[in-house]
Amino acid sequence: MSHSHRLALQFLLPSFLFVLIFTLFPIVESFHLSFYRLILTLPWLGQKFVGWENYRDLLTDPVALHSLTTTLMFVAVTTPLEALLGLGMALVLNESFQGRGPLRAIVLIPWAIPTVVSSQMWRFIFNDRYGLFNFFLFGDSTGLYLAPLADPRLAPIAIMVAEIWKTTSFAFLIILAGLQAIPNDLYEAASIDGATAWQKFRYITFPLLKPALLLALLFRTIDALRVFDLVFVMTQGGPADATNVLQFYGYKKSFAEGMIGYGSVISVVVFFLSLLLSLIYIRSIGSRMLETVEAR
Amino acid sequence: MGVTVRSSFKGALEILSLWGLLLVSCASVHAQTEIRFVTWRPDTPWVWDQAIADFEAQNPGVKIVREVGPHSSTEFHDLVTQKLRNRDPQMDVFFMDVIWPAEFASAGWALPLDRFFSPAERKEFLEAPIQANTYQGRIYGVPVFIDAGLLYYRKDLLEKHGFSPPRTWPELVNQAKLILAKERDPQLTGFSGQFKQYEGLICNMMEYILSNGGSLWDEGQRKSTLNLPKAKEAVKFVRDQMIGEISHRGVLAYQEPESLALFTEGRAIFHRNWPYAWEAANDPKRSKISGKAGMEPLPAFPGGKSVATLGGWQLGISRFSRKPELAWKFIAFMTGKETQKRIALFTARAPTRKQLYHDPEVLKKNPQFESQFETFLRAVPRPPTPVYIPLSNIMQRYFSSAIVVPDSNLDELASLASRDMDRVLDLLREKSLP
Repeated sequence: MSHSHRLALQFLLPSFLFVLIFTLFPIVESFHLSFYRLILTLPWLGQKFVGWENYRDLLTDPVALHSLTTTLMFVAVTTPLEALLGLGMALVLNESFQGRGPLRAIVLIPWAIPTVVSSQMWRFIFNDRYGLFNFFLFGDSTGLYLAPLADPRLAPIAIMVAEIWKTTSFAFLIILAGLQAIPNDLYEAASIDGATAWQKFRYITFPLLKPALLLALLFRTIDALRVFDLVFVMTQGGPADATNVLQFYGYKKSFAEGMIGYGSVISVVVFFLSLLLSLIYIRSIGSRMLETVEAR
Repeated sequence: MGVTVRSSFKGALEILSLWGLLLVSCASVHAQTEIRFVTWRPDTPWVWDQAIADFEAQNPGVKIVREVGPHSSTEFHDLVTQKLRNRDPQMDVFFMDVIWPAEFASAGWALPLDRFFSPAERKEFLEAPIQANTYQGRIYGVPVFIDAGLLYYRKDLLEKHGFSPPRTWPELVNQAKLILAKERDPQLTGFSGQFKQYEGLICNMMEYILSNGGSLWDEGQRKSTLNLPKAKEAVKFVRDQMIGEISHRGVLAYQEPESLALFTEGRAIFHRNWPYAWEAANDPKRSKISGKAGMEPLPAFPGGKSVATLGGWQLGISRFSRKPELAWKFIAFMTGKETQKRIALFTARAPTRKQLYHDPEVLKKNPQFESQFETFLRAVPRPPTPVYIPLSNIMQRYFSSAIVVPDSNLDELASLASRDMDRVLDLLREKSLP
């Protein structure tokens, strides 16, 4: 083994250990615990091996299935919208104009605010008595004011809006980086050939941006699948369980109820769901993305 | 490679162990003197600051270190139980909501206090909270203040329309409807309570169900009773007669502060809340209806008895505390006559020592305690069980689904909830593993 290789391994060791202890171990442990019945508040029942029972329970648990639909709906609505809005913002802020720098910084603010804080803010905005949402819609006609967080049809939408507001900037950031990697001479050549703005977008920008776009979608999908803090602050899963997303349900099982085995099953399911979706994305971008990275 | 890696690894280990030593030595310097108290931010912090300062003055060398957690009961529960699960020896004393002692006792997290807290001393306290702190014959907490559900109403509006405070829920609904029709004030709503999907929903719904002769579950049989007619009738009443009828639908997202704000802004005729709301409603600085509020025991259904859900907070000692004696000394001080009196005088939180309800000074400052005393004596605890939290989550889901959707299928929802509750209650039947 060459000297540089040895050095590289030494440098890699700390992060390898970090991943081992803080990522791999919890995953393996969750998987392990998911085959047991372990209830913290009933210690005399012990840690009983139950095989696939927790998994079978999950499949027949209407609350869990409802959580799954709610979560998938959340992912399906928020991620494409975030990517689309992020793309629009990136295209605008990639043009050079006066004040572009400050504007780019401002766009990132929602993403920089801790989610707990912004969730609290959205909870106030959606308040049924003094919320800005109602004020913009109905002004002084307080009789018409809606209570979005008290309505099982509106509450999930309210959470989606808060999520989109917050994380579109993240999609924007990745897409902007992708845009900046596109060489300018391509556009110059296209201009000489007399291409319209739309043609430039359709035949240069979009194809070359695809990897960045898919990357943004991948990150957002995994993140949205694990949505928790918005629900925790804004609705606590209600009303009528309409916002009880999977991670929140799992959290309640493990941390509030002390049902460690069942809570672990939910974590394992969320883990495999994200793994599956990641694999699909990586399959569709994988080779192409690596090519672009190497080309740079 | 082996040598260098191993030596750098060793170096890292050395640094780690140095840190460890440093931490251990820091801890041992203070070990004799610090009591760590996990609390939430009280409404009137100076009263507590002063009480703690007095305790420290009386016990030189002892320092009370406060760790302030979230105010919501559910979130505070997560914080405290996380520390207990990790067997954190740092936490000595903690607040407990009235529904936790059974859980903490069963899990082996709370220290039984029988050797400190004598039966004679327990007699000085109100009966209901002492019961709530007792699990299988042993006591696990000392009640600091008591809460019980009460009906608040707009005295001026009721008088104006010739009504006396309602004795039954249907009467309340009728009064509210008539007043709303005559006042024609779009800002006004008939009733505000706590109907968000959270623990407060259980407290509210329990008052309807029990005052109709129903119950949440049968403690002896360990069977849910939510699908029995009496319980379903009460839930149906709330869904059809109250939500969207005399309450606007916004209450379905309300906890205590939002529902109280509605009342103190003069926008609600009737209001259900805990005793502290009296002070808030009559404080001219915070309330537009100061002097116009009335307070009564909650109504019942015709033929039923008024029921107030018992609430309140207790102090407990962690089983993993290394200083239980000192921790007890602190609890005894905080729940002693003097501190209780001070808290009663300056925070309007209802004390747990019976004697204070006959104390002229306390009654002069808080005359409402006299009429609340009856309610405190009769307050009904949520049934104590180590599996309270899972049961509560099932019930929260059920109640919220039942009252949020106007044409919800009550029979189906109730039998689903009962099935889930029975499964949890069945766990209590199991003996320990061989």
